[in-house]
Amino acid sequence: MNRTPTLTGHGPWNARWGTVGMQRLSAHLVRAYWLVTAALFVAVILMLVLYTPVDRGMGPVQKIFYLHLPVAISGFLAAFVVFIASVGYLWSRSMWWDDLAAAAGKVAVLYCAVILLTGMFWGRSAWGVWWTWSPRLTFSLVLFLLYAVYVLIRPTIDSAERRAVICAVYGIIAFLDVPLVYLSVRLIPDIHPSSISLEPAMRLSLLAWFPPVVMLMAGMIGTRYALNRRLRSAEAGRFSEAPSAGAAIRVSAAGGHP
Amino acid sequence: MTTTLGRIMLLVAKDLRIEARGRQTIAIVLVLGILIIVVLGIGFGSPGSSGQPVTGFQATAILWVAYFFGGVLCFEKTMDVERRDDALAGLLMTPVDRGAIYVAKLLTNLTLIAGLTIVITPLAVMFFRFDLAGHAGAFVAILALGMVGFAAIGTLFAAAASSTRLQGGLLAMLVFPLCLPVVIVSTQMMRELFLPGGQLSMPGLALLAGFDLMALTVGWLVFEQVLEP
Amino acid sequence: MASASTGPHPVPADAPAAAVSVQGLRKVINDRVVLNDLDFAIPRGSMFALLGANGAGKSTLLKILAGLMPPTGGRVHLFGAPLAGHAADLRSRIGFLGHNAMLYRELSARENLVFFGRMHGLADVGRRAEDLLEQLGLADRMHDPVKAFSRGMLQRAAIARALLCDPELLLADEPFTGLDAPSARTLEALLRSLHAQGRTIVFTNHDVAQSIALATSVDAVGHGGVFVLGHGRLIINQHARLLDAAMVHLEMSDR
Repeated sequence: MNRTPTLTGHGPWNARWGTVGMQRLSAHLVRAYWLVTAALFVAVILMLVLYTPVDRGMGPVQKIFYLHLPVAISGFLAAFVVFIASVGYLWSRSMWWDDLAAAAGKVAVLYCAVILLTGMFWGRSAWGVWWTWSPRLTFSLVLFLLYAVYVLIRPTIDSAERRAVICAVYGIIAFLDVPLVYLSVRLIPDIHPSSISLEPAMRLSLLAWFPPVVMLMAGMIGTRYALNRRLRSAEAGRFSEAPSAGAAIRVSAAGGHP
Repeated sequence: MTTTLGRIMLLVAKDLRIEARGRQTIAIVLVLGILIIVVLGIGFGSPGSSGQPVTGFQATAILWVAYFFGGVLCFEKTMDVERRDDALAGLLMTPVDRGAIYVAKLLTNLTLIAGLTIVITPLAVMFFRFDLAGHAGAFVAILALGMVGFAAIGTLFAAAASSTRLQGGLLAMLVFPLCLPVVIVSTQMMRELFLPGGQLSMPGLALLAGFDLMALTVGWLVFEQVLEP
Repeated sequence: MASASTGPHPVPADAPAAAVSVQGLRKVINDRVVLNDLDFAIPRGSMFALLGANGAGKSTLLKILAGLMPPTGGRVHLFGAPLAGHAADLRSRIGFLGHNAMLYRELSARENLVFFGRMHGLADVGRRAEDLLEQLGLADRMHDPVKAFSRGMLQRAAIARALLCDPELLLADEPFTGLDAPSARTLEALLRSLHAQGRTIVFTNHDVAQSIALATSVDAVGHGGVFVLGHGRLIINQHARLLDAAMVHLEMSDR
């Protein structure tokens, strides 16, 4: 137990944002980051409409797939960030790990929701139903539930320390659950076999979708993390700047009212 | 000189003795389990009228709902014993290993859940007319492996949540999603078992064992961090 | 901030002779600073009172000393050994008396003591439990479940639990609260006799006058500061805390 935990221990980004000059620079960098992300999204959408060939079997709906797979992989990455941040919190007991885990958890839920919805659209056009208990749909539903509960349970725990501990344990087990869920859904008989064969142009479109989707994920986690940090330091400031005169009165009350 | 194993046995004996005095946990858990079975029974209607026995698929659904809700209540109650009068702090002042406390609590919970299943299962068989007799061994194997993982997660979170207001339905909300692999695997295994010429699925058993191993390892590693008087 | 404090204790903070020594201790609970840079040492064999209002952090400090709660920062040494890392070895040298009895209420007093004694790894626990219960006047009720006990009896049973492992250091959190006058007198006499046996006793108390009468030294935990008082004489070791300490002093002279 040789840890030196800090309450408002500075995350790496805050430390770098120490001076005003650095703050201005990083504000520019953040803006540039979002501009690049937006530009990439415009580019890949144009590419999808103008360049990517239409699938012969499924028609234009097949194009959901170019969003679906990159989102699925980035959602998994966000879940991995929750896992790393949870382990980091339990190891160091520094609150900024918890803020990072919370940020990544929110993004993971959002991405899982997109996986689930795109999967349902796919199923609707491929098999004519919104929902079947096919392995893939079940997998994305379970993933969504795992992280939706992670996000929902947070505000119900009042104590910041308890919340961080419970959510860290949850975040670790949830991530370790992912491969187990993946393997267990394969026991479900797949009545709708679906194999996807991609032409080279399709493969290129798929690859092109990865950078913007991953950048959006990382950007959202970063923004959310910075917000969580600010909220926490505002909260900590309210308590730690209590005047010492108040303390004196409280000490005197000790003898007076047993 | 007391070894860790000896201390675990002492802790379990203590828990079971307290349980025998008040029967506070088992009584309430059994009543909840029976209520769930009755509600589902009313919902499904009498199988006698249609003559159709419940399939293996439905059987697992019915049983698992009763076991899971009863189980979560059980985890909560057995942890309450430690919280009342801060007895846990007294325990933590002794040089006992925190992992031993986890294992002991887990064993207590498994004992009580075994009690629950022994009462609930025949009742459900009677209500819904499952045909468990042909697959009794396989059923017990699935149940035992499934419950170890479930209890490993439940004991951990019951300990973590016991010092917060996070109880009742919210504890279930933490435990259920994490245990979904157990639900998926065991329902699929039961379905296969009930097919004509059905057999115990070996990949399924391996998955359940893998889940148990994961849950027990994490529980053992983080239990000390989670316990705070 | 308190690094330059010159403690009035004859024993330096890091000397192995100190039963408790605390350096730069910080505890933050739910983003609230409960203990801020505490530095103090408690010599072996002393009877030490901690004063402070509700919420001043007395209980938190005792829980940290007992190893039940990790500090946010700083170092705690008990008998010269760091608490972090030696917690399990040190636990059998500490007795802790908390707000609650820390007993299983469905079990009898004897069963409780035997159970905790076995967890401590003691030999001949049955005899030890019975001896202790006899000393504390619970011999005729030792087979009753603890939940049937009155507040005073519960407190005595809790003391028996704390003394099971024959601790060198007894930490008692508000041991006098809720006791009627005769029980309080009995407890006072018991604490004196434990002190006379050479044990170190640290207790918290609302009652300043009683603490002064009982203790060999008295500390007050205020908002992030410790004020050291000896036998009714006020010693201020932190200029910044002059006002706080003066308030304690006023309260004392009222009595």
